[in-house]
Amino acid sequence: MVRYVLRRLVVSVPVLLIASMVLFWAVRKTFDPVAKLRQSQDPQAVQRAIEQQGLDRSLPEQYWLWLRAFAGGDWGSSSRTGEDVRSMIVHALWPTAQLAFWSIAVATVLAALVGVYSAVRQYSGADHFFTGLAYVGISLPAFWFGLVLIDLLAVGPRQRFGLAEPPLYFIGLHSNGQSGFDLDYLRHLVLPVATVSITLVATWSRFARSSMLDALASDYVRTARAKGVPRRRVIWRHAARNSAAPFLTVVALDAALLIGGLVVTEQIFAIPGMGRLFFASLGSGDVFVLVPWMLVVAAAIVLCNLLADIGYALLDPRVRLR
Amino acid sequence: MSSSHLLPRMKPRVWIAAVSLVALGACSTGGGAVTDRSAAPSARPVTQGGSLVIGAEQEPDCADWIATCAGAIWGTYTMQVPTIPQVFDTRKVGGVWAPVPSDMMAGEPQATMQGGKQVITYKISPKAVWSDGKPISSADLKYTALQIRDGDDIFDKTGYDRIEKVDTPDAATAVVTLKSAYAGWRSLFSVYGVLPAHLLEGKDRAAIMKDGYSFSGGPWKIASWQKGTSVTLVPNDKYWGDKPKLDKVTFSFLPDTSAAFQALKSGQVDALYPSPQLDAINQIKAGLPGIQSQVDPQSGSLEAVWFNNAAAPFDSAAVRQAFSYAIDRKAIVQRIYGGLGVTQVAQSFNTPIVGAYAGQDFSAYQLDLGQVDSLMTGDGWAKGADGVWAKSGQRAEFTMVSLAANKRRDLMVQILQEQLKTAGFAMSVKTETPANLFSKITPKGAYQAGLWSLVDTFPDPTLSATFNSANIPSDANGFSGINFIRAKADGLDGLLEKVDTTLEVPARTEAAKQADAVIAKDALSLPLDTVPLVLLWADKVGGPLAINPVEGPFWNLEQWGIAS
Repeated sequence: MVRYVLRRLVVSVPVLLIASMVLFWAVRKTFDPVAKLRQSQDPQAVQRAIEQQGLDRSLPEQYWLWLRAFAGGDWGSSSRTGEDVRSMIVHALWPTAQLAFWSIAVATVLAALVGVYSAVRQYSGADHFFTGLAYVGISLPAFWFGLVLIDLLAVGPRQRFGLAEPPLYFIGLHSNGQSGFDLDYLRHLVLPVATVSITLVATWSRFARSSMLDALASDYVRTARAKGVPRRRVIWRHAARNSAAPFLTVVALDAALLIGGLVVTEQIFAIPGMGRLFFASLGSGDVFVLVPWMLVVAAAIVLCNLLADIGYALLDPRVRLR
Repeated sequence: MSSSHLLPRMKPRVWIAAVSLVALGACSTGGGAVTDRSAAPSARPVTQGGSLVIGAEQEPDCADWIATCAGAIWGTYTMQVPTIPQVFDTRKVGGVWAPVPSDMMAGEPQATMQGGKQVITYKISPKAVWSDGKPISSADLKYTALQIRDGDDIFDKTGYDRIEKVDTPDAATAVVTLKSAYAGWRSLFSVYGVLPAHLLEGKDRAAIMKDGYSFSGGPWKIASWQKGTSVTLVPNDKYWGDKPKLDKVTFSFLPDTSAAFQALKSGQVDALYPSPQLDAINQIKAGLPGIQSQVDPQSGSLEAVWFNNAAAPFDSAAVRQAFSYAIDRKAIVQRIYGGLGVTQVAQSFNTPIVGAYAGQDFSAYQLDLGQVDSLMTGDGWAKGADGVWAKSGQRAEFTMVSLAANKRRDLMVQILQEQLKTAGFAMSVKTETPANLFSKITPKGAYQAGLWSLVDTFPDPTLSATFNSANIPSDANGFSGINFIRAKADGLDGLLEKVDTTLEVPARTEAAKQADAVIAKDALSLPLDTVPLVLLWADKVGGPLAINPVEGPFWNLEQWGIAS
């Protein structure tokens, strides 16, 4: 297992290198790194920036210089804010990671429960109900659902019951001056986590159901039943455990996409995460942030792929990682 | 100073990212009383103490106010105005916005011409001190002037680039000598303010200021700036004027307008200053219980249709004039802003904050399809079978570029499209990002017509930057001019230069109005409306709340408080 992980990590280096090359080329071809200075009244401003940042060199040369600095920990400065890019990305990663973690945790539990229940009670009224609900959940756009939740669970109760403040908050992850894991944090988490989770639960519960149905139809489950193993034990110890492997693979792969894919939720709930950083950088054509940002997301995808493989092997003894 | 809009709302002095600065016109050397920040309408009384949270729809990129990164107008509202002293404030005098000396000054600065050079004498009030107790001095003016004149990465050097020298005969007197007459001299040390030399000289100013700074020469100090989240201000105990009533004000960055309105309704924020986008207008129209509001149509932001005068079909004055008669501007304004009670059409490219210099010449352009037919046929056009004008095989069709992700503009463009179709013009629409539009497309003239805003950011006429032919982007000026419309009209350059260099108010006003008339006669572009300003606040907020179109709605934040 350790050798497999090490080998996968080594293999991921050229993958990320190729990704960085493609991203660097694509971003530089799409955006003008000195666009912001082109309207400056200082006629030397553009030339000065070009010389300072080595933009007068060939693209491969620029890439090599950037890569060398990037690998050495110097991720450059944002053309928008002048801040250190590494620090910007690290600061943005933390809120996104929190939001993604709680959303995945909630969605995984709910999706597994719904999936198992729907599979065990296939074609029952509850199964049809959850199936219908899943389709609704999949089709709910975050920008709309988030605002509906705010209205239903925060603004509505406050106005209806004349409360001094809403029961749930929706600005950031903490109130001003607060930090840590406390009631304030939980009151901030509920709405954005619910917004992200709804689509995840809807999608993942379908996978969980399908995977569970396969497991329930397998020979070992039939054998267990024939031997008189209690129904609860058959479902949870035999079928559910074996259906978990493909389910968790999907979870791991989708989780990686959350690192860069929470733009709308972060925008609505004013969470200063990766999505908002990307949005702001894209709007101002900040190539010095966009390339490292994309590379970090690519690395997260590679990492989650690896975790998915490892998880699969841990959950399914028939799989051996070599 | 004027500028185009890149973002929903930008810094009240220059363009951001893609938008460059514009030469300031000038004000007279006439007198004006030294004022404090108390010039405000009647207000609900407030208690001492407490805190407020205000929603800010945009986060500034940096707080080094003279650098290129300091483009966001919300930086000015949230940090610059409350902490940086300036020579002139913008206040309403006799019903019009005008620069008046701030309480940092001992009196009105005096500007005189001496041998072709302009000499300006500033006298600083002995009461004025920084938050560390050190007096605000002539050395601070000198440091600020030279940082801007000689520095790299400066947002806008307009006016400062004319500084020949700054003398400091004593600690309270600074004498600035300009190489030539600069009618917009009042913008010096007023748009950027004054920086503390004793804290910054010989140090890396950008590094000290860009993420927020601890010094202040205003009523507030920056207590913290949590990137992506909020800016918190606390009172500056050393401020020599009226001290803030509140213990703390927090500006929370809420980029989503709908969520910001919900935050106001839920009591998570106490005030908002939203861009008048359609969803915001609809929310206000629908009513906000427990929320007070002020709508001010007298803003410095003017929306207009900008014709590329060097590209067909708008290289013909007759076509531009016909276009102007084909549009029912009143109907557009009514449809977009009627919900706010705003119905006034802009009749000049001088916005209301420089209204004293504006004519009414564009009022001649009312919807008149007979005039359209007359002008187009007179220019050799004839309507084809499809109802669209054509001339020598060329149809009167064009593409209107607009900024992406702006629902209000999308609606405006749709209305224009319908009205123009009726008049025989075929218009298609293309949206662009601000960066692309103002750094690539407009400088190169690669468009036919566009819809964006021009922003006046100081009560001083500035049309020279937009309409003087010397400012047409070209290889000669490194494509840094912002006469994107390639305007050239007989006599216009001379009039605009007169506006830029004439110190006497009557002559300057006359020149500005004549320039306005020339712009309207040739329909170099077409003004539509001034974007109204909207301030919303919860019942708990008291004090003299009033919008200042230049300094923002929080210009007198020290007088805000919890309503008693």
